[in-house]
Amino acid sequence: MIVPMGHILIVSTTLFFMGLGCILARRNLIMILIGIEIMINAAGLVLVGASAFWRQADGQVFVLLLMGVTAAEVAIALAMVVYLYGFKRNLDIDNFDGMRG
Amino acid sequence: MSRELIFLIPLLPLAGALLNMLGGRFWPRRVTESLAVAAVAGATLAAALLWPLSGGEGTTVELFGWLRAGPLQVPMVLHFDRLAACMALMVTGVSTLIHVYGTGYLHRKEDGVRFFVLLNLFVFAMLTVVLADNLLLLLLGWEGVGFCSYALIGYWYREEENASAGRKAFLVTRCADVFLLAAILWLFQVTGTLSITAINAQAPFLAPGTVTLLALLLLVGASGKSAQLPFMTWLPDAMAGPTPVSALIHAATMVTAGVYLLCRVFPLISQSPTGMAAIAAVGTLTALYAATCALAQRDIKRLLAYSTMSQIGYMFLAVGAGTVTGAMFHLLTHAFFKALLFMAAGGIIHLAAGEMDLFKLGGLARRAPWVFWPLLAGILCLAGIPLTGGFFSKDAILLASFARGGTFYQVLGLLGLLTALLTAMYSFRLIYLVGPARNSIPGEAHHLPSSMLWTLVPLALAGLSGGLLNLPAAWGGNQWLEGVLSAPLIAEGEAGHGLELALGLTAAGLSLAGLLWARWRYAGKPEPRPVGTSGTFFLKGWQADRAIETLLLGPFRAIARFWSTMVDERLLEGGVFLAARSCEGFGQQLRRLTSGRLGHYLTAMAFGLGAIMVWVLLQSI
Amino acid sequence: MATVLFYLLSAVTLVATLLCITRKNPVHAVVFLVNALFALALLFFLLGAPLVAAWQVIIYAGAIMVLFLFVIMILELAPGQAMASATRLQLAPAVLLFLLLLVSAGLIIMQDPAGAARVERFYLSPRDFGQALFSRYGLAVEIVSFQLLFAAAGAWYLGRRRRVRREEERR
Repeated sequence: MIVPMGHILIVSTTLFFMGLGCILARRNLIMILIGIEIMINAAGLVLVGASAFWRQADGQVFVLLLMGVTAAEVAIALAMVVYLYGFKRNLDIDNFDGMRG
Repeated sequence: MSRELIFLIPLLPLAGALLNMLGGRFWPRRVTESLAVAAVAGATLAAALLWPLSGGEGTTVELFGWLRAGPLQVPMVLHFDRLAACMALMVTGVSTLIHVYGTGYLHRKEDGVRFFVLLNLFVFAMLTVVLADNLLLLLLGWEGVGFCSYALIGYWYREEENASAGRKAFLVTRCADVFLLAAILWLFQVTGTLSITAINAQAPFLAPGTVTLLALLLLVGASGKSAQLPFMTWLPDAMAGPTPVSALIHAATMVTAGVYLLCRVFPLISQSPTGMAAIAAVGTLTALYAATCALAQRDIKRLLAYSTMSQIGYMFLAVGAGTVTGAMFHLLTHAFFKALLFMAAGGIIHLAAGEMDLFKLGGLARRAPWVFWPLLAGILCLAGIPLTGGFFSKDAILLASFARGGTFYQVLGLLGLLTALLTAMYSFRLIYLVGPARNSIPGEAHHLPSSMLWTLVPLALAGLSGGLLNLPAAWGGNQWLEGVLSAPLIAEGEAGHGLELALGLTAAGLSLAGLLWARWRYAGKPEPRPVGTSGTFFLKGWQADRAIETLLLGPFRAIARFWSTMVDERLLEGGVFLAARSCEGFGQQLRRLTSGRLGHYLTAMAFGLGAIMVWVLLQSI
Repeated sequence: MATVLFYLLSAVTLVATLLCITRKNPVHAVVFLVNALFALALLFFLLGAPLVAAWQVIIYAGAIMVLFLFVIMILELAPGQAMASATRLQLAPAVLLFLLLLVSAGLIIMQDPAGAARVERFYLSPRDFGQALFSRYGLAVEIVSFQLLFAAAGAWYLGRRRRVRREEERR
């Protein structure tokens, strides 16, 4: 009654692509991580919407687990950012091409 | 006399070769030589004792079945008829003398084992050719003589030119052998059998066109081994081999194998007048060509090589004129005196410590009479001085040619007479340059071993008396060979005794003319005239080598070079390299994807995502 | 009413996110993102997930974004250096993405033009949520707790003091 499922999907798709755009377009490591966060949140929105659509709890449970994973991931990612900043003194991803070749 | 003993004739030399091959290193040189000589002598004895078996239709004896594959039946079968018996006796007898000669010829320090093994092996192969009743077996022997010839010409292979001469001989005869092989294959296809007797029996029932082509193919095949036009360039160079080899292979046996082959299949080829005419023409032209070249030669062995070429041309003319008797008669006498001439030449060269130029080999008459007089005997036979073996045999051929009728054969006969004149001229040129004491053999005269001397005598006697083999009735003879071979001398028509006598007188006159010319030219002043272009032309065999080089070998090499560089290198290898390098290049381009830059990776992922979404989109439409 | 709220909150989220990804200053970006996450949490509440909404605020906006700010500030405090990061925008991926977005949106609409599949009013109480979580997804809970453990260990390892090595690298 409140909203068609399609609209929820469109919103979350837009969010997702904005996150993707952030990842592709920005050169700062922090901004890339932020883009990842946006994308994960978009997925979360879809899950909650689906949970409401099918009237089951599974989607929400999944969102909880997603948050847990995201927290772990962010912890390690930011630790690595700090570490890498120590090497290159800036966070431009073009600097980190040690895996070249 | 058991029939199977016929197999002893070829197998004794083979046994000698095998024994020497296996054990020659271990026992002294004397044993090797004795074994080799005994083997060939044994074969001679066998051939002589088994002579009665060859009468009538001859004896056919089979050893075992070699190939049996449905229609293709190739048993090891020998056919011992009069023709084969005569040839076998000649081959084994002359071989024995030459083997003995060879024992003295070869220096102590040279590799005697290889020499005698190859000589024995050669005799085995030659006897296979002579006695085989099956064309494939004959081909086996044919190839065998070719190989032994190659190996023996290049006996002193450490010198580049000897090895090249051997190669040249092999390759040129090989080119001709292809035609022989074609003839054999075609014969099998047409008659369904490879047995010579069976093919000869079927000959009258074959289509004329087929027979003509077969005859021509066989002619070409025979021309290779017999050094006739156009496959003659190998024989002068083959003189690089030891003199016993030249005497045995390139005078008496291998080069006559072609004539023998044509005689063997005579019932087949005689069905085709075109074929016979072609054979006669090839023979006559070669005889003339070789005689002109012989007249210009300075090297004694090359002169004898051209002379051999010329005389075999006569034999081909005989076959073409329709007389197997004439061909075989001349073959036998020629074998005797040509082997003799080569052996004598070997002795001369030995005495002169390797000098081969005629103009430097004088004084033989006084220095080494035991060599000179047999040499003279051989020359008299070659020149056709009356009453020698050579006179009667050459005469028989010319008679057959004239008596056959038709302008073609008359012309050939006249060319034959011209060649006889040239033959006499170059023969006596040889004698007058070598005999009298001018430009004597320099230095110390080397001592000639006795085996190189006494072996000349039987051959001289055989050559001089060879006329008795087939003394014509006009001279009061019994024409024994004709009767033995049961092949008439004159193909068509009756040649009166008048023609025979006229011919005989003409031939005698020509040979005397040659003698007088040589005496006039060389007796007083044997200085070589400076050689002009015409002299070089004849010296080099009418520049045949250069002609072959330009016409055949040059284009062949150009084509090979083309295929090698343009196609093989650029196209194929280039193509392969191109493929490899493009793979490598592609890999390098791919490598640029791993830039190590995170931004690129993310972009790639986004594009991948886009692709998946497009695919999903397309699926759902 | 709920419908209107939904669209309003969606608009806020999208605008905030758009602003977030186009900021030069990362701090500004993070703040805008927090804004977006708040709006998202309200959306969750609207869609019948009160517990998830709460957690969105507590964990996401409250912990993770704070963590981001901490790191930005730590790095910012590196002596005498501004964040020398280039924030170039590139056009091609943006265009591509926009096109993809249009395509996806079109697809979604095409599936169900009339909007027949509607999300009804829904409310999941914490009790039901807890029941679902611990009965059906008990194993997942354990695994995630493991994951948090080794994430913590890894983060500690990566972040431990390596003074000596840093000084060596500076030379």
